[in-house]
Amino acid sequence: MRTGFRLLTLLAAGALAVASSVLLVAQAPAPAYRAPRAADGKANLNGIWQALNEAEWDIEGHSAAPGRVQALGAEDAVVPGLGIVEGGPLPYLPAAAAKKKANFDKRLASDPVVKCYLPGVPRAMYLPQPFQIIQSQKHIMMAFQYAGAVRTIYMADQTPAPADSWMGWSNGKWEGDTLVVDSTGFNDLSWFDRAGNFHSDALHVVERITPVSADLLNYEATIDDKKVFSRPWKMSMPIYRRKDKGARLLEFRCVEFVEDLIYGALRKQGR
Amino acid sequence: MRHRALASFGVMVFGIGVVALAGQAPKKWTAPRTPDGQPDLQGYWTNSTYVPLERPDKVTKAFYTEPEFAAVIKDAALREAEQTEPGTIADVHYDFTQFGLDRSQSAFVKNDLRTSMIVDPPSGKMPPLTDEGKKRAADRAAERRRAGATTDAVQNMPIGTRCMIMAGSGPPMMNAGYNSNYQIVQGAGYVMILVEMIHDARIIPIDNRQAGLPEGMRQWMGDSRGHWEGDTLVIETSNLNGKNPFRGSSERMKVTERIARVDANTLSYKFTIDDPATWTQPWTADAPMTKSVGPIFEHACHEGNYGVRNTLAGARLEDRKAAEAAAKKTSN
Amino acid sequence: MRTRQVVAALGAGLVVMMSAAVPVRAHHAFSAEFDVKQPITLKGTLVRWDMINPHSWFHIEVKSPTGEVVEWMVEGGSPNSLIRVGVTKYTLEIGMELTIEGYRAKDASNTAVGRNFTLPSGKRLFVGSAGGPDSPPPAPAEPAK
Repeated sequence: MRTGFRLLTLLAAGALAVASSVLLVAQAPAPAYRAPRAADGKANLNGIWQALNEAEWDIEGHSAAPGRVQALGAEDAVVPGLGIVEGGPLPYLPAAAAKKKANFDKRLASDPVVKCYLPGVPRAMYLPQPFQIIQSQKHIMMAFQYAGAVRTIYMADQTPAPADSWMGWSNGKWEGDTLVVDSTGFNDLSWFDRAGNFHSDALHVVERITPVSADLLNYEATIDDKKVFSRPWKMSMPIYRRKDKGARLLEFRCVEFVEDLIYGALRKQGR
Repeated sequence: MRHRALASFGVMVFGIGVVALAGQAPKKWTAPRTPDGQPDLQGYWTNSTYVPLERPDKVTKAFYTEPEFAAVIKDAALREAEQTEPGTIADVHYDFTQFGLDRSQSAFVKNDLRTSMIVDPPSGKMPPLTDEGKKRAADRAAERRRAGATTDAVQNMPIGTRCMIMAGSGPPMMNAGYNSNYQIVQGAGYVMILVEMIHDARIIPIDNRQAGLPEGMRQWMGDSRGHWEGDTLVIETSNLNGKNPFRGSSERMKVTERIARVDANTLSYKFTIDDPATWTQPWTADAPMTKSVGPIFEHACHEGNYGVRNTLAGARLEDRKAAEAAAKKTSN
Repeated sequence: MRTRQVVAALGAGLVVMMSAAVPVRAHHAFSAEFDVKQPITLKGTLVRWDMINPHSWFHIEVKSPTGEVVEWMVEGGSPNSLIRVGVTKYTLEIGMELTIEGYRAKDASNTAVGRNFTLPSGKRLFVGSAGGPDSPPPAPAEPAK
């Protein structure tokens, strides 16, 4: 009987040990999400994606406000948002801050997206239209529904930007499952949003894109532009997979929608 | 001006490349695979060529001999590179060869020395138009006349001038004259064909993995679906909006394209046009692509379109001058 | 440099355009934008070469006979082919001298199309491309079958 009692004690001690180790495991951080692999073993970022925030109106936190065109009433009013910029107001240099205000004041005439111009980076990433990632080993392509904009991310045979462009020149690499994209070679013509936040041709963007669950990417971008900002700053936001059945990009070829806006004043009288 | 650009740019490309001779058994070549096992079509390709879509009137056979073909190319290249006469309309242009934009300055396809891209009908020419096709062409011509001069309004200008879409996109994808390059990238059930001008990314879903468009939704490049038949990518396109007619096509045109990797440097590209509203029968063309070099730099056409603005502004200035001259006349 | 609207895309021997909407070529009618009756020769220093599409633009400062400096913008070709042989935004030096023969725009602005761009030595621009205006370019990929 003593043996049995000892056995019971041992069993109880064992159970207690197991229970406490289970408790310890439960308190440890859950293992990070591991995305499915693309065929080459890298995290698979292929798919149709879209941000779901109000950064397009203004990347900084902002309240609702009247729109640009009175006749459009509430449909053109500014949708409020908490903003995607981390850590306080954008650090504009003094002259640049004045330019930002001037941009805002004439935003209807000056916003390049009003004229169907290419959106630049990172604005393309949070336009309220989907984009598609097509991923191969040497090139990761981002195709945007808006204006058919395209970003080529060179994963191999990387060179500096040969010339300036609207969508910049992007070289990428993998850090684990994070796609790190380093982009330069931007012209100074695109804006960050409708509020007139802008950059120069010295813009340097480093993006980190990480799959955090089956249908979610974490997107971070560090913006560095010594001609406009006194220091680099960061934005971050989730990007969601479009789950609509048969989700796809459609054409948003907007040139024909803006021709009279741009050239109407040059039309022959009576035509 | 003398003919000097061609020699100076230092590239002449006549008569190179070996055409597979009839009767020789081709070496067995295994197409590479992408990591997920699909035939690998990836890379930079060009469909630049001197072979016309239709057989020239004076030509009756389907293939040139090597010397004949070399002569055709040589004539075309010399003609295109020659300096134009100062003071002529043709001279009002930058020199293509100075910017490396002449066909002869980059890779181009010899297409087995064909006299036409069209292989069916065997005549090498498009089939006859239907009555509806003829009427549509006449209506379009009448509409153009009604609209006035091309300089009256931007909408009167060709859609390429307006930076809306160019020949390289189609479908079918035709040589664009210069910058006739494509970049193919494949990933997870999609084939993306990036057309250089105007940065059009044709995204071809394989095996119905994305929704097809309903009848009422039409697009400039239509709605394309792909599937593999062996190692050949078959792309079927419908739902065109008809705003970019191909040789007079209607919005009901269906395009079937077949793309296959023939060897390390060649993609075979064939397309069939099926448009009973326009032609009396379907017709097929063979327009292969050859390896090109990258990169494809951003062709932001609309954003840089000074041409439309300058042309309209110049025409309006001329209108004003003409009006002032007329007013002076009447007041005298 | 001939008018290429029809020849290049349709190939030798074929000139029929089925409709105005056929996007045969990138080119607008240059002779509608620039005046064949206003040929011009500009000698100036390069301020900027906008390597943009559909056509690039050379911004040059020209000293008028009275000594004032006037900036002209002169149209050139798409830079895409040059980029493929190694030309970059650093290839042309700011301040380099250029002589440009061309035609003035019809809208009376200081705009022109350049039919010929030459260096002070008399050599044509980009007759060299990669490595500098005067050096020979690397040969493009060999045309294949």
